[in-house]
Amino acid sequence: MSMMGTTVAAEPDLVLEADLARLIVAALSLEVAADDIAPEAPLFGAGLGLDSIDALELALAVSKAYGVQLRSDDERNHRIFASLRSLAAHIAGHRTR
Amino acid sequence: MPPDLLTARDPAEVICHRDGAAITVGGFLAQAAALAERLPDQGQAVNTCTDRYAALVAFAAALWRGHPTLLGRTGAAGEAPAAGTYILTDAQQPDAHRSGASLPVFEVDLAPVHRTVVAPAIPADRIAAIAFTSGSTGAPTAHLKPWGALVLGAAAAAARFGLRAQDGPPSSLVATVPPQHMYGFETTLMLPLHARLAIHAGASFFPCDVLDALDAVPPRRILITTPLHLRVLLAETRRPPDLAAVISATAPLSREMAEAVEREWHAPMLEIYGATEAGSMASRRSAHEEDWLPYDGIILRPGFADTPSLAEIPGLGPVPLSDALEAVGNGRFRLLGRIADLVKLGGKRASLAELNRVLAAVPGVVDGVFLAPRDLERNPAARLAAIVVAPGRTAAEILGALRDRLEPAFLPRRLEMVAALPRDHLGKLPHQALRQMVREEP
Repeated sequence: MSMMGTTVAAEPDLVLEADLARLIVAALSLEVAADDIAPEAPLFGAGLGLDSIDALELALAVSKAYGVQLRSDDERNHRIFASLRSLAAHIAGHRTR
Repeated sequence: MPPDLLTARDPAEVICHRDGAAITVGGFLAQAAALAERLPDQGQAVNTCTDRYAALVAFAAALWRGHPTLLGRTGAAGEAPAAGTYILTDAQQPDAHRSGASLPVFEVDLAPVHRTVVAPAIPADRIAAIAFTSGSTGAPTAHLKPWGALVLGAAAAAARFGLRAQDGPPSSLVATVPPQHMYGFETTLMLPLHARLAIHAGASFFPCDVLDALDAVPPRRILITTPLHLRVLLAETRRPPDLAAVISATAPLSREMAEAVEREWHAPMLEIYGATEAGSMASRRSAHEEDWLPYDGIILRPGFADTPSLAEIPGLGPVPLSDALEAVGNGRFRLLGRIADLVKLGGKRASLAELNRVLAAVPGVVDGVFLAPRDLERNPAARLAAIVVAPGRTAAEILGALRDRLEPAFLPRRLEMVAALPRDHLGKLPHQALRQMVREEP
């Protein structure tokens, strides 16, 4: 159930990416501006510097905003969380709202 | 003390639910014995398994061989791991070699082993695990866990939570805490060996994972978790199936959250008081009780001004605690708070003084101070802030330097660059003035 229908969009959805960046900044009380999050930069570790506590908060915010449930058993998890762009692509393929 | 068996459970009992299959104690012993035979004569294990059952097999195999398992790390930061250190990993972890490039790696094979194995007796004084309390700088202190003390601790927890054979039907444990953390180790590796329960082996990190896992195991279901996870789980509209108990540790649980669990999940919300040095020591039903009841056999001696509180742990002896305690009668005690300036985040802890020293050592930093938010003890998502004087350096540069030096949990979420700190004529920093310099959460 986790991977069915995942499509990596050929064209990034810039509106969704901007929307998601604002959600991430608000949900995690980040000190950066949403516009400053580079779409291809890593969210975790270096890059934005998020950690596992943030991953939980992010999962909650994404679930509430888009109806997308994040899971650990998704083999593409590393790729989904790799960047703002990859997370937005995953949400685009699974969103229910 | 006489030796204790690795497990005294009936070989036919279920010890783990994994991918929809029930694994028996007998099946587990056969797999642990087979792995033990592949391990070197001497050494110590770093158990990096992400699958909880693989972690249990790996722990048991190392113990069977006489080797301690290092909980959470390969040894002191910056130091080469001790000779004989090896890594136990499961197949689900492609980057297992990352944590110790040159250490030997043994993969835990979970293919069924068809043979009958009797649980070995393990000497009570054998060091079964070594836990570390990590300072913010990564200078850890090792805490040795003799097998006899761990078994006594598991028995005391089983008695407290009704998990013994005489207490009723077997339980199923789903946990959001990793087995490499002392709380996760005690509850999800030691309890299945010495209480009548089965652990769930699959993923249980995201809310959806946890709810799926609870749905997948038979009652009596027990959720082992933390305030951090409870907060996001309670925010889900989806509800868990019937739970026999929810158990939380690692950070104080607010009365509101405890009440919400009892009200919305109709389950007893139990909280454990523990410390890496001493293990689990006491519990309470947080929505109804302010005070903690020590586990049977554990004696807590409240400390005074300069004397630390002490826990008398069976099999371990007296252990100093970093909390101030007060006896309140009926054998219970009240937790008065942390001593000094200790902060605890994401299951790791550090002192603000230590963090300030790390900050001061960053090149270009002239002055600086870490601040803990007022709600640190109550809000599981609370993070530290820092105010820094570093002419010519940017906040991003300072943060980058701190990232190389600190556990991620202690990185300041707010980092204010200022021209000077509001030190008074004694060089002290009035808290009020500092707080005005960082934007507090609304």
